[in-house]
Amino acid sequence: MTKYTYMPEVRRVFRCTVPNENIRQVFLVDGILQEEENERNGIVLQRGTNQMGLKLHISGDHSQEPIQVISVRNEDLPRPLEFSNRWELAPGAVAQIIVCDHTMQEYLYKTFRYSQIKVGDGAHLDILFMQNEHHRSNYRLDIDAQLNELSGLDCHILSLYGGVIQNTLHVNMQRPGAVCNLDGLYLADGEQEVLYDITVRHDSPGCDSRQLFKGILDNHARASFDGTIHVAPGAQKTEAYQANHNLLLTHDARITTKPQLEIYADDVKCSHGATIGRLDELELFYLRSRGIPLAEARMLQQMAFVQDVLDRVRNDAIRSRLERMVESRLRGEFTKCSHCTMHCC
Amino acid sequence: MLSIKDLYVKIGDKEILSGVNLEVKPGEIHAIMGPNGSGKSTLAAVLAGRETFTVTQGSAVFMGKDLFELAPEERARMGLFLGFQYPVEIPGLTNVNFMKAAVNEQRKYQDLPLLTSGEFLKLMREKMAIVKMDPSFVGRGVNVGFSGGEKKRNEIFQMAMLEPKLAFLDETDSGLDVDALRVVARGVNKLKTKENAFVVITHYQRLLDYIVPDMVHVLYKGRIVKTAGKELALEVETKGYDHIIN
Repeated sequence: MTKYTYMPEVRRVFRCTVPNENIRQVFLVDGILQEEENERNGIVLQRGTNQMGLKLHISGDHSQEPIQVISVRNEDLPRPLEFSNRWELAPGAVAQIIVCDHTMQEYLYKTFRYSQIKVGDGAHLDILFMQNEHHRSNYRLDIDAQLNELSGLDCHILSLYGGVIQNTLHVNMQRPGAVCNLDGLYLADGEQEVLYDITVRHDSPGCDSRQLFKGILDNHARASFDGTIHVAPGAQKTEAYQANHNLLLTHDARITTKPQLEIYADDVKCSHGATIGRLDELELFYLRSRGIPLAEARMLQQMAFVQDVLDRVRNDAIRSRLERMVESRLRGEFTKCSHCTMHCC
Repeated sequence: MLSIKDLYVKIGDKEILSGVNLEVKPGEIHAIMGPNGSGKSTLAAVLAGRETFTVTQGSAVFMGKDLFELAPEERARMGLFLGFQYPVEIPGLTNVNFMKAAVNEQRKYQDLPLLTSGEFLKLMREKMAIVKMDPSFVGRGVNVGFSGGEKKRNEIFQMAMLEPKLAFLDETDSGLDVDALRVVARGVNKLKTKENAFVVITHYQRLLDYIVPDMVHVLYKGRIVKTAGKELALEVETKGYDHIIN
């Protein structure tokens, strides 16, 4: 195993981030797993293809013990890096995973992370991706999820920092009775760019999917949202919803949003919607008329706007931590906690 | 406390207020009545700092300061309150977080220590009891899904939390049934002291049975055309505005 001399520091830096006591943390540094392959409590942790990335195979119920995977870029001569992580849930397994992607230096890192998710029959995965790099990094996440019979996937993506963040999600509901909730929050300012490309395929009858994506764009930030729901012939009793709402804080911020439905079955409930708006003037006056200063009032409005996305994170400890991070991000502060030396998660 | 002199206000090119004069002293309750479109709500909104209006002439001095030099939040922190005719819904912001932000800003301004969560909740419970608000409202979005009556109670509740020196209540009575009207009026009477003052904007004499004004003003076409005691409200009710204006 490669020895990384900076690891103690990495651990020290990240110790403060843990939302719960005694959470299991797994480190990936420049795509390389920082512990030996092991098996504990029904969780098999292995290296991925070509010794890069990781593979987690989970069985049993782990709903009360989230696993945090901390994936950082740290090399001094950054090269484009590409690796795959695989998340597999055995039938009936329940797991909560938090994936935090960071950069330890302000180099022009370019990282391409594939995430392959397989949720077995009756299993349920709750996975949260924290995208917290820096303003010049190039970040790409490619999620490919396969849902089996009566399985469930909750996938949350929180994009806080990154020069260009590109998220591609393909969810395939290939067996009946699967349920999938996708949500995301992107907060971009400066010259940041956030790009979403989502395809949810309903290939089997009786599956539900719900998507809620919201963004706040400031300065010259740009975002695009391309979302497709595909309902295959024969996928009757499908329920599929998609919503994308955006708040533009300046005239220079830009969002292109393109929700699409392709429906080839006739007994389905589907809807999609997209909005682009600005902070409501009357709301702002109402808040200020109660003594709340302009900047604080705008802040409360933005927090109110994103609240329903955060509410989808069911773990209270994690949600309240995310709320604080989003708030400090919107205030333009680094999302660091008191003992942290870096603006990591 | 408040001294408005020769106030002219426009929205776009349209003049709404054309020379309003009004003096409010501590311990007084004023009622402003007048037909639709006479400028009642504009007067309240412009004093609270709504930016859609332009003050073209005149002055308003509150607690020795020129109101029009101050941002809406500064006016509020000095003790000016506006009870909205149409309270605004803010989905995603809970009543408790809204009030916590407001009360803390006010305490910062008054150089008082911020309240702990426990103290704050106690204060909230106390003030909610005044307007008989359901405790479950605390965690709900500001005015979201509230009935008309609940929204108006929420305005009085916010007023109770902030304890303003001068409150403008803009048609707080419209859309209320008799019971809700009593609750709102009782709230106002409970908060009334010798040091504070209220200006109640209303269409109906009904509210003034519960909140007894010292002075009643009739606003017509942007000017106060008549000022008298509480009997003026009765006169409006029985004879209509036409009689008074002519």
